[in-house]
Amino acid sequence: MEKNKTICAISTPIGNGGISIVRLSGNKSRKILQKITPLDTEKMEARKMYLTKIHTKNFDEQALVVWFKEPYSYTGEEMVEIQCHGGIIIANGILNELLAKGATLAESGEFSKRAFINGKMSLDSAEGVIDMINAQSEEAVKAGYSLLSGKLKERVNEIQQSLTDCQAKLEVAIDYPEEDIEYSTTQEIKGDIETATKKIQELLDTASTGRLVKNGINVLILGKPNAGKSSLLNALVGYNRAIVTDIAGTTRDTVEDSYTYKNMSFNVIDTAGIRKAESIVEQLGIERAEQLVKNSDIILVVLDGSRPIEEDDKKILALVKDKIVLYVINKIDLPKKINATFDKMIEVSALRREKVEKLKEDIYNLVVDKNMLSGGLLITNTRHVNALTRANESLKNALEELALNTPLDLVATDIKTAWLALGEITGKNSNQEIIDTIFSKFCLGK
Amino acid sequence: MKIINKDYDAVVVGAGHAGCEAALALARTGIKTLMLTLSLDSIGFLACNPSIGGTAKGQIVSEIDALGGEMGIVADKTAILMRMLNMGKGPAVHSLRAQEDKIEYHNEMKSVLENEKNLDIRQGEATKILHKNGEIYGIETDLNETYYCKAVVLCTGVYLKSQIIIGDHVEDTGPNGFKRANKLTQSLIDCGFEIYRFKTGTPTRVHFDSIDTTELEKQYGDEGISPFSYKTKKQPKNVAVCYLTYTNQNTHKIIMDNLEKSPMYNGLITGVGPRYCPSIETKIVRFKDKERHQLFLEPESLHTKETYVQGLSTSLPVDVQKEMLNSIKGLEKAKIMRDAYAIEYDCINSLQLYPTLEYKNIKGLFCAGQINGTSGYEEAACQGLIAGINASREIQGKSQLVLKRNEAMIGVLIDDLVTKGTDEPYRMLTSRAEYRLHLRQDNCDLRLTEIGREYGLVDDERWKIFLRKKNGIKKAKKELTKIIAPSKQINDMLESVGETPLYTGASVDNLLKRANVTAKMLQQTLGIFREIKDDVLNELTIETKYEGYIQKEEKQIEEAKRQEKMLLPKNFDYSQIAGLRLEAREKLNKVMPLNMGQASRISGVSPADISVLTVYLKSKKLI
Repeated sequence: MEKNKTICAISTPIGNGGISIVRLSGNKSRKILQKITPLDTEKMEARKMYLTKIHTKNFDEQALVVWFKEPYSYTGEEMVEIQCHGGIIIANGILNELLAKGATLAESGEFSKRAFINGKMSLDSAEGVIDMINAQSEEAVKAGYSLLSGKLKERVNEIQQSLTDCQAKLEVAIDYPEEDIEYSTTQEIKGDIETATKKIQELLDTASTGRLVKNGINVLILGKPNAGKSSLLNALVGYNRAIVTDIAGTTRDTVEDSYTYKNMSFNVIDTAGIRKAESIVEQLGIERAEQLVKNSDIILVVLDGSRPIEEDDKKILALVKDKIVLYVINKIDLPKKINATFDKMIEVSALRREKVEKLKEDIYNLVVDKNMLSGGLLITNTRHVNALTRANESLKNALEELALNTPLDLVATDIKTAWLALGEITGKNSNQEIIDTIFSKFCLGK
Repeated sequence: MKIINKDYDAVVVGAGHAGCEAALALARTGIKTLMLTLSLDSIGFLACNPSIGGTAKGQIVSEIDALGGEMGIVADKTAILMRMLNMGKGPAVHSLRAQEDKIEYHNEMKSVLENEKNLDIRQGEATKILHKNGEIYGIETDLNETYYCKAVVLCTGVYLKSQIIIGDHVEDTGPNGFKRANKLTQSLIDCGFEIYRFKTGTPTRVHFDSIDTTELEKQYGDEGISPFSYKTKKQPKNVAVCYLTYTNQNTHKIIMDNLEKSPMYNGLITGVGPRYCPSIETKIVRFKDKERHQLFLEPESLHTKETYVQGLSTSLPVDVQKEMLNSIKGLEKAKIMRDAYAIEYDCINSLQLYPTLEYKNIKGLFCAGQINGTSGYEEAACQGLIAGINASREIQGKSQLVLKRNEAMIGVLIDDLVTKGTDEPYRMLTSRAEYRLHLRQDNCDLRLTEIGREYGLVDDERWKIFLRKKNGIKKAKKELTKIIAPSKQINDMLESVGETPLYTGASVDNLLKRANVTAKMLQQTLGIFREIKDDVLNELTIETKYEGYIQKEEKQIEEAKRQEKMLLPKNFDYSQIAGLRLEAREKLNKVMPLNMGQASRISGVSPADISVLTVYLKSKKLI
């Protein structure tokens, strides 16, 4: 089967753990790891922890990695574990990077299945594994198909159908060169593909909202020391979160916790680890600060209402332009000295927990696109995002080829690849669909 | 009085395109073979259109040839017009088609068979399949003869209980007035075969002198194109002309007015007809908006004036046929020599066969061609070849030949038949092949000659031709990395084909990747590729230009290969696997796939089923 594919997944539950573990299994595990780390993976010793950098598109992460040599691992295959900082952002970022570098997203239960196949689980557990696969496919049916069965599946179906038609047009030109039919022009096919990519892009655009629904909204709290960031975090999550001590030598520079508001989950990220009298930029380094900003969905810039705007505040203000920002004027229980107003701002007292509900509502309103939510058309599944992205890439290739006057049979290859990617969502993947379309749309034959 | 004959190891029933290849493959691999046919005059008969090849089919003919089959050689010899279709598109879809001299083709094929030393040909009707304990042991004929043998290849074409239908006239007969096979269907049912009834048809033949060709568009052959067979040295003849004409609104009115007389629409015909080869009445009913339908007038032979009206297949009564024919430009005074007819016939459910084309329930019984639900001379011939090879291997106790989907169009065709089955006559289309860029007309020899050699049908002459090409490519490829400096010659050449000139050095490989540059041009301009022949240069051009795409396909092929390597147990009862869905269990039991790849292609078997199957079989140590 897909034994030779190297699979990966986040193995720890998504939540507020201190660390997350991302695992790879398959004979390319080390090779894929090599693509995202300066560590020489060929020289790693088995079962030994290495502290190294992990490069991703958006950030670099300091993480621990371990290599398990085949067959001495959970699955019995070569495996790599990456232990990174907790929280959804970092683990997801690393997962996506691994996928981009050639790993395949694991089916649920796949690690266990491989463990079983490779003799790492006892024979009597066979039934259990079969149940798991079935449970998973049922779950997939529920989550992937039934749940979205309304509009999403319909929409992807529609797009796939339009590509089926487009392909039928190309195929008929290839298989029936001598028929007296109007062959589609390059222009027509180009139009079909452009429409399809536009529709796929629209769907992909919902993925960010879909991700918010599924994984929660990332709320980043920024502010100069003593602006009241920790108090604000505590106010939002509703209890006093133990403050993590900033132990020298660790990189625990952020604290995460979450709360729920109107059925949405909000992950609050506080730069609470930084309590020295240095600005966040200097403390974290500009890159890390930018990374945090980039991966958040909304930023709460906490300003001390009892003091005028200072140099540290300005650095932060410069950092957050182009993002959704809510300016939180804290400490309204003290005499007001702040000398600036902002478009989107709210005055609170984090310490006294005043106006916290209003703050939550403002955050919600700024981030959640209610049109999208009420439309019910959200992509929440990484696999779907992955399939749609691949479909779109192939279609873009096809468009480039059309522009270069590439022979149609080659263009057809890319359209077919896109069509198959969409088929991963709709379940339609047989050539017969295309052949049926050829015969229903064209009058052919001797 | 019963006559018992024990002279043969194998019997081939039928002498159509499947039968001919099967018999030759058996005889040429040393098996004493008898070919039984209802009529010696129907050997290698082109019962419908007088042409061979076309899209996907042209590839099949060259594949047959590379494996050591006969069709391509005979088709080249008796061709009267050859065209390379799809020249305006990429080389992966170039397809050769030849107009054939129907009479010559039959004569030539018959003579090849007659001169084959291990082969005897006998006119007679096979009536009963003899088998015992799941193994074949002979064939009985209508004249009470019994031929004992170890293998039988059934290539019965459209002859099983066939009926010809013209209007309300229904006749129990084979095509073209040949005798039909009356009894064999019952024997097939007794052997456990499921019988389907399929339908096809053929158009009118008219007298050439009664056609007014003065205003019709002419179609000539292409000069200098590579023939079907890699062995053909003499360029095939290009002497015939085809003519183009069209139906019109008046023709359509005549058909619509008489539709109730069409057995297709009044219920007389019940068989399933092919969608890709519809009768003219079907075309007009289904595509009402189409103002005209194209017709080709094709000569049947240089020895006769009979002309085939391609596109006018019908089962309407004769008077309506004449009226509609005479409403067409150029055919106003056309005289019908043979009437168009529809034909219904019995065939089997191809899901009951292994990919070797052997029947699952009786060892030594093979089926090939239209009996398996296909349509087309080429589709039939390639099955005959594979069935013949495998029957021979079985008799000799050797391993069997199954071509993979990534190796040949033939592999796609047979895999579709035995894995998906077909509910209409199956025609090959390039769109059925996932690896179309790989399964080209130009590289059939490179893909299959070595396999043909291994299975004993590639003679020394063909082998030498193949080695020359293969070594030529190897040699030429070494020059691809050479760096070419800008010069007047190269830049003049590049500009003359609309490419930008060189300003810095470029590798031969890079130059060849440009859309309008061929290896031949580089040979002529730069003096590289010395002594390399044109077929090699052509191959090199295509491979280099398509490299990126071919690599994409090869990646997929590698994926597929892994699944193909996972062999499944034979005669396994899938209903015992509780984790499988009911539909999957039933389908798997029906198809009995040979490997996991084939299992995954069965409609109704999901990826989750495949996972369950893998886990189950691994746990039982069955794979």
